[in-house]
Amino acid sequence: MAAAAVETIALGKSYRLTPVLLEVDLRVDAGRAAVIIGGNGAGKSTLLAILAGLSAPTAGVAMVLRQDSRRLDSAARRRIGMLEHRSFLYPNLTAAENLEFYGALYGVADPRGVALGWLRRVGLANFAGERVRKFSRGMEQRLAAARAMLAAPDLLLLDEPFAALDSDGAAIMADLIRGELARGCAIVASAHGALAIEGVALEQYQISRGRVVPYLEKSGPSRARRLRSLLGRQSQ
Amino acid sequence: MSAFVVILTKDLRLELRSGTSTIAMVALAMLVLVVLVFALGPAVARGPEAAAAALWIALVFAGMLGASRALMAESENGCLRALLISPADRAVLYAAKLAAAAIFMIVALGAGAIFTVLFFNLEFSGALPRMAPILILGVIGFAALATLLSAISGRARGGELLLPLLVVPMFVPALVAGVRASAAALSGAPLGAARDWIAILVAFDVLFVAAGYLLFEHVIGEE
Repeated sequence: MAAAAVETIALGKSYRLTPVLLEVDLRVDAGRAAVIIGGNGAGKSTLLAILAGLSAPTAGVAMVLRQDSRRLDSAARRRIGMLEHRSFLYPNLTAAENLEFYGALYGVADPRGVALGWLRRVGLANFAGERVRKFSRGMEQRLAAARAMLAAPDLLLLDEPFAALDSDGAAIMADLIRGELARGCAIVASAHGALAIEGVALEQYQISRGRVVPYLEKSGPSRARRLRSLLGRQSQ
Repeated sequence: MSAFVVILTKDLRLELRSGTSTIAMVALAMLVLVVLVFALGPAVARGPEAAAAALWIALVFAGMLGASRALMAESENGCLRALLISPADRAVLYAAKLAAAAIFMIVALGAGAIFTVLFFNLEFSGALPRMAPILILGVIGFAALATLLSAISGRARGGELLLPLLVVPMFVPALVAGVRASAAALSGAPLGAARDWIAILVAFDVLFVAAGYLLFEHVIGEE
């Protein structure tokens, strides 16, 4: 059995008296990807923040790379890459300088070379010397993905990775995710709806009232289609 | 390259590129000194005591601006969260932020010291070298205190308003010692004459640098 990169046991998080996550049991092995589906405020980002060690659970435990998420040491943090809805990029540094900074911070050998390599992979090689302040949201998201992945992490936490991406950007992101999984990296991603990436088996879960349960594709006509057919029937 | 050098180099590069904090601090220090010269009038604004007090008041105001900027610069695009999940220890992050804030303040206070000598009709050659070590001690203490407290106030709603209310009262012991030591230096006395005041400044620096190094991990980050 592959080693679990993430394992949560009865994980819970409450803000004062408001529960956000309830008894979450989740296991993600190396080389596997789990997608957590939920609407705004469902608790997806909170779960990712707990796994990154940015937030402490109020119940249960989250084991991340065999360490308690409350006490991740420097070596474990080095093995985690995170992509959030905020890009973690410095607007007044260029694209190359941003990646070089994070490469050096994560102890990557030859940060400059690695930064330029990743800029090519995310299709931003021509913008290496541009300040991030001038980037569109989609370009910033691609650069942020490069930032999260450049230290070859063993666990990737991706909060809505396809947000703000056009079709080219989405194809690049899908390629990156395929590449990271093939390398043996575990991925926990969040999304508003079910994700499908060609050639990748995703374990899909949904957050419902704070509980993480296997995602069940809704069958039958959608609410919108049912409403349209109902309106059509009334007008006849 | 160590995480300390990486973070400090990035902060210095960002500051050299924009210059926002240092320029604003120099401008504020000059304004404070001008206001005090006019407020005190020509009779009072002549002695070393008045000059030393004015310079240290300028240090407090300019320092407040710089210290709040040091961690605020990381809040754009959530960069502080990136530093918190990075392999860098939080104590190292504190040390780098403290060093960056102290360097910006030293540049601003260097300009402030020159304005003080000019505005208060002091002797240029002797005053500045004698005052430099005292000012550097004051800057280190202030930066250590303000960096730690800005991490605490940054978590509170309206933290920017809270920061001066926390920093200024706690800086009073160093302020008193700094003004007395600077006044002695400006009046031409050797540094040894202000030995006791300088000892207080050193103790203040050691206390707050150590407190910041040990406590920063607990006051920043976890939600």
